[in-house]
Amino acid sequence: MEKTINRRDFIKTTTATTAGVATLATGITLTTFVNANENPVTNEKRWGMLIDTNRLTETDIDGMVGACQKEHGWGSDKLSTGDQKASWIKKLKVKDTATGRISNLALMCQHCEEPPCVDVCPTNASMKREDGIVLVDKHLCIGCRYCMMACPYEARSFVHEELTDQKEHMPRGKGTVESCTMCVHKVDKGEQPACVASVNSDAVIFGDLYDSSSKINQTLKKVQSTQIRADLNLNTAVRYSGI
Amino acid sequence: MSIIRYEQTQGKSLGFYALVAGLGAFILAALGSVYFMEHNGHHVTGMSNRIVWGMPHVFALFLIVAASGALNIASIASVFNKKVYKPLSRLSGLVALALLAGGLMVLVLDLGRPDRLIVAMTEYNFNSIFAWNIILYNGFFVIVGVYLWMMFERRMNKYSRSVGIAAFTWRLILTTGTGSIFGFLVARQAYDAVIMAPMFVIMSFAFGLAFFILVLMASYKWTARPLGDATVNRLSNLLGVFVAAVLYFVAVYHLGNLYLAENSGVENFILLDGGIYTKLFWYGQIILGSLVPLALLYSPATKGNRSMLGLASVLIILGGLIQLYVIIIGGQAYPMELFPGKEILEGYGTIASYTPTLPELMLGLGGVAVAIIAITYLVKFLPFLPESLADDVVDPHHKK
Amino acid sequence: MNRWIILFFSLIMTGAFAHGQKTHSLGDEAHSIKDSGKTYHESISVIRKMHPEFLNHKRDKTLREGVRTEEYSLKGCVTCHATKKDNSNDYHPVNSEGQFCSTCHKKVATSVDCFSCHRTTPAQGAK
Ligand code: SF4
Ligand code: SF4
Repeated sequence: MEKTINRRDFIKTTTATTAGVATLATGITLTTFVNANENPVTNEKRWGMLIDTNRLTETDIDGMVGACQKEHGWGSDKLSTGDQKASWIKKLKVKDTATGRISNLALMCQHCEEPPCVDVCPTNASMKREDGIVLVDKHLCIGCRYCMMACPYEARSFVHEELTDQKEHMPRGKGTVESCTMCVHKVDKGEQPACVASVNSDAVIFGDLYDSSSKINQTLKKVQSTQIRADLNLNTAVRYSGI
Repeated sequence: MSIIRYEQTQGKSLGFYALVAGLGAFILAALGSVYFMEHNGHHVTGMSNRIVWGMPHVFALFLIVAASGALNIASIASVFNKKVYKPLSRLSGLVALALLAGGLMVLVLDLGRPDRLIVAMTEYNFNSIFAWNIILYNGFFVIVGVYLWMMFERRMNKYSRSVGIAAFTWRLILTTGTGSIFGFLVARQAYDAVIMAPMFVIMSFAFGLAFFILVLMASYKWTARPLGDATVNRLSNLLGVFVAAVLYFVAVYHLGNLYLAENSGVENFILLDGGIYTKLFWYGQIILGSLVPLALLYSPATKGNRSMLGLASVLIILGGLIQLYVIIIGGQAYPMELFPGKEILEGYGTIASYTPTLPELMLGLGGVAVAIIAITYLVKFLPFLPESLADDVVDPHHKK
Repeated sequence: MNRWIILFFSLIMTGAFAHGQKTHSLGDEAHSIKDSGKTYHESISVIRKMHPEFLNHKRDKTLREGVRTEEYSLKGCVTCHATKKDNSNDYHPVNSEGQFCSTCHKKVATSVDCFSCHRTTPAQGAK
């Protein structure tokens, strides 16, 4: 995707770093106070993730799960039991039946480009942002759970009990559905998702799939990667290599 | 054909009040269950993130499907011009509306946020078959309501045929829509079949008629009005045909799935080694819900016997509930194929377990009770039932 | 649609109640702003009447479009309008009895749906 930097884009990128006063290369000083993202996200970007299962250790995966729980405050349900507990990201161990090779991977919402959860949601609560992040708008969610039926990855959780003391940036409540947000609140600030940040190696990379200068874009060009259930043609934003 | 006279039921007998009290108790229990489930959250139910639709959905979909089937009698009368069914048209419309109301009540009260019903009515995602279903259900109420009015008002009678055709078309679309709720779940192997939607249409014929027959026989018996064999035997034959048709569709559905290699896993699960689901399928759905009723309807020993027809209808309803249980719960219990050619050792891929709880069951039964109580009251206040359905009234040329 | 009904009722209700009302707990930070003679909201009557509209508009902007400005963010409301418990560093939830949100909402008998999901106190460590 061809891109020329214009002023809007410039503000957008700098807003991420909370620029009070910014100086353009040409020497013009921009003194507008920009505290946070003022402009809507656009489809010029598409956030994605590449998980290299060859390098990802089991400890890494546990760390990712832990980081996600800590960031969003799920996983401490007091009353829900078994499969009722929230689970935004899971650790999976997969064995190739032909070769016997075992891979470990983390599975969360794959942020599909053609998300079945969004298609089926009767109230538009399941939605995809312009930049490809799939979210549940809990203001509209009626808790019908049709999206959970439709998601091929069982990536979503239903809140089965009353919650208090939620994280400030992550409203969660009884009777609505939730899933991995790709840490949208961090991404909008120019940070990495919590799970990505928790891994010390390059086993998980996050970035703009469209930006040909981004690491994820370049790596995807070099290595062989797959989408889980690629046959469904959902064009997921989370890709895997080594399985 | 002689003039059919419709009359309200009296609704003053002890039996009437006993019936209302009994149904009321069920409805109260259902409301209590809803309060319990909504107050605590769904953790008090057997449902989970893997079995997201449980017992309430089994009842809700059964009632919705049966609702559109119950309209059949009216459709046969007006669309296909079969005079014998004409006197039954009003009741048919009523049973259809009552069943739909009961089903929708269960569906709505099982939502995570039933308090946001207004959102469901104001925010529509037109890509969602679910949203379309909401429109179809609301439309069904309107169209059948108008249809009933055309039948009740003498000066409107002349339009009843065209409205009847509209209602008939609408109900076919409605059941197709209900079936398609599953058809859109591409990743779930159990539902990955085009035949799902037509199968639901046929199921609706059978379940709706079974329910209708029970209502008809009970109301005529309890109000001591004559109900002739001409009517009952026709309905009984029709019921047999529908049940056989469902059986045929079930066979095609499973054979088709077996043929598709990628779905053989879930087929083996339902047909052979799915534990409770296999048992429910063979003993419940096939034997109890289809073969036994067919035998009761057709074998010379029981044919024409009203108690046996009643028993057959009850079994068909039970079998229908079991069939939906196997489809809905069984279909979810079997894990989705995430990595074809690979085995998942940890983290996913086991059979999900589900034990329905009492509140879930009570909510479902409450929906049935709401449907019956609505019928009971409406036949009391409006003339839905012909005062006589004796053979010579229904069909003067009937040979004794 | 229901949004307009709410707006309509809140207009009537605020007309009836808001002005005579002085006893509700304003919240620690809001208090100190007020005491310092400054104003945060441009017009008190506008924010009283229109806050559901503002919040609804903002929530769509933030959630659906990623616009994360501070104005009309619910987080902001909670931060300013929460009151600390006596002798403690913890806050009363803004929607609990006698606190900022609940005082008026109880009077006008409109439920607040925000806090079935949103946090009711300023985040730990925030101010
Ligand atoms: S992985 Fe599931 S929840 Fe996520 S976007 Fe795709 S369908 Fe929706
Ligand atoms: S549970 Fe909520 S997000 Fe999911 S389909 Fe229903 S309304 Fe949409």
